[in-house]
Amino acid sequence: MESEFYDAYSKRHELAEGWKQAGKRIIGYFCNYTPEELIHAAGIIPVRLRGSSENIALADAHLPTFCCSFIRSCLDQALRGRYSYLDGVVIPKTCDMTRCLPGIWKRNMKPSYFRALPVPGKSTDEAVDFFAHEMALFKESLEEYSGHKIDDESLNKAIKVYNENRALVQEVHKLALSDTPPLSGNEVFAIMLSGLILPKDEHSAMLRKLLDNLPPAKETADGAVRLMIAGNTFENMELMQAIEECGGNVVIDDLDIGTRYYWNHIEEGSEPLKALAAGYLRRVPCPCKHPTQPRLEHMLKLAKDYRVKGVILINQKYCDTHLYDRPWLESSLQQAGFPVLLVDHSDIGWVGGKFKTMVRAFIEMLE
Amino acid sequence: MENKQEKPTAPFKPARLATSAALGILNENYYNALASAKADGKPVIWITSMAPIELIYAFDGIPFFPENYAALCSSRKVAAEFCETAEGSGMSQGLCSYALCMFGSIFEKRGAFGDEGVDEPDILLATEGACATHPKWWEAMQRHFNCPLIIIDAAYTVDGETLPEHHKSYLAAELEKAAYKIEEYTGKKFDIDRLREVVSLSDQASELWDDIDDMRAAVPTPITQIDVFTCLFALVTLRGTKEAVEFYQQLRDEVKERVDNGVGSIPNERFRLIWDLFPIYHNMRLLNYFAEFGGAFVTDLYGNAFSGRVDSSDPFNSLAERYLSFFMRSASWGKSELYKKRIEKYHVDGIVFHSNRCCRCFSAEQPEISQILREELRLPSMTFEADMVDPRVFDDAQVKARIETFIEMLESRKYPK
Repeated sequence: MESEFYDAYSKRHELAEGWKQAGKRIIGYFCNYTPEELIHAAGIIPVRLRGSSENIALADAHLPTFCCSFIRSCLDQALRGRYSYLDGVVIPKTCDMTRCLPGIWKRNMKPSYFRALPVPGKSTDEAVDFFAHEMALFKESLEEYSGHKIDDESLNKAIKVYNENRALVQEVHKLALSDTPPLSGNEVFAIMLSGLILPKDEHSAMLRKLLDNLPPAKETADGAVRLMIAGNTFENMELMQAIEECGGNVVIDDLDIGTRYYWNHIEEGSEPLKALAAGYLRRVPCPCKHPTQPRLEHMLKLAKDYRVKGVILINQKYCDTHLYDRPWLESSLQQAGFPVLLVDHSDIGWVGGKFKTMVRAFIEMLE
Repeated sequence: MENKQEKPTAPFKPARLATSAALGILNENYYNALASAKADGKPVIWITSMAPIELIYAFDGIPFFPENYAALCSSRKVAAEFCETAEGSGMSQGLCSYALCMFGSIFEKRGAFGDEGVDEPDILLATEGACATHPKWWEAMQRHFNCPLIIIDAAYTVDGETLPEHHKSYLAAELEKAAYKIEEYTGKKFDIDRLREVVSLSDQASELWDDIDDMRAAVPTPITQIDVFTCLFALVTLRGTKEAVEFYQQLRDEVKERVDNGVGSIPNERFRLIWDLFPIYHNMRLLNYFAEFGGAFVTDLYGNAFSGRVDSSDPFNSLAERYLSFFMRSASWGKSELYKKRIEKYHVDGIVFHSNRCCRCFSAEQPEISQILREELRLPSMTFEADMVDPRVFDDAQVKARIETFIEMLESRKYPK
């Protein structure tokens, strides 16, 4: 598909190499629990670590095959040298794979900056205080590494940049509230992906330009069925295209790289570290965090507001934390009137034919 | 040294410890107490393996470990059926087989003994301390049983050599909150002095366990890995009681006598091995297969997790430090350091990795640990895939062939011709 957003994402490694040449530093990170604003305030570009659909070549020597293919792929990409431009990596404590990965990554990639970031499992006041303390330690380590002092002013500036970006992406999402959204689900997906690997001010500039020059509202192609896509992470654009080809129109998502990432707002003010801690812990949670009900509430609200006919729930094989919730999410959504298609997914070795058959049957059932 | 042992024609069965009889009684008493808990007015609290059992006994409650129960189901050959039932209900294949097995038992209303299974819990209590899946499994059980759920947070880092103060104080506060939650849900008053008593008993049992653990360094090693795994029952389930202390005193005395008399766990100890990490509950005999070639298991980290020295004069802080100090806190480099110390102390010749398919948390780092030990200590290793509870995933012939190859390699290294 043609899109400067998808272009940026496909060329992410080349772009990053370019930033390195220009004298920038880059830190790779995992998950929605890494406070990127701190990295940004240190004058370093945070990029989300992503896998690929390339077969695993080197990671099997370091991780068993019954681990999620996303993490295996990220490690494999690093071992292959795709991430040679990284100056450092931050791995927050979320799922079991992020608990096991730090030792393996450090030993094999030998990053010059590394942080395994403790993250509470809860969002109580005590948890927020704990996380604020960890933020302060993280800030100190970034200051030491970058030689760049991070004062409240620069941190609030970073928070503002990130809030603006989140607001712009939310604006893009809200375009699909219309019966005839100007952007397709694929286009929105590409927008979300590109935001993971571009500096936020650049991404925001592209979004402002897009929002000022929106294409005319598309006629909903052949009565395409409005769908929500939910689950954990994937990056397979072919999967999104397959849904469109089967007559589906993904109007909203509940993905780690979608609304769970972008639908947030950090308070700007006199206590930015505490604001970051509270903002990161109290957003729509990953299943690794407790309680888990807010995520279902978020999904139900989205399904209702965006008038979806059904939900495609995509989960990585071996993703324990998501898969424990799956039967409950499925029955809750069904009870609320939203049929659910369950998909076990891996970007590597993805079979389009099988997926299309399932989606076509699901959409036919919904029509 | 004796000549290379020819493969015996009959499978090896080591003599059981005298203390095993006492273990049988402890088991029976425990399940009887569980069955009569309601009648006795004792709250039954289902806890995860690294939850603070001391809190439960401080309320005179009965702790129930679904993980232990699943292990029991597995040893009694009903796990495959239970796992299938759970999968049929929508739970994914590949999830923790403790969880699948327990859910199967719950859904079928059948237990490990051909009975109706166990009664519903009064309270569910899980911690974040061991793995991310424990709280998820407990949340799923809470949706099923609709009883109170307490989750204790443990926001540690896997990358630290020292334990930061704010990590301890956060967990200490979580533990105290949990105690008051239990008070709320049971209607029983929290008694700090009773907690101190329980903590002291927990410390005594741990100290005895550590003594026994140390004595395994003797050559020949005095007890089998099967004995270690089965005798762990009291430390896991009865830690904090007088019965556990008495049991380990008896066990410690028996092990000491064996060490003093040079009695080995197997007749002809030729190789000293480490087992990493989980028992294979449906096939403990596999450990004896190594014995047929003179392979004795001398140390492991599994028991280490359940033993923890604690200070009754400062219970919450001490418990917090203890529950942040077991090996899960160490990234692969840290676990390797723990193993390196043991390899030296216990004169270890090789390490066996049971790649437990359903447990990413404790299996994901095995390849890395194996490489670190090989590169830094030239320690040979073997890896095979299985599932701790589910017998459907096990290739007996393939695993035995791998063991035989491993033994041949150890043989040529340790006893070169």
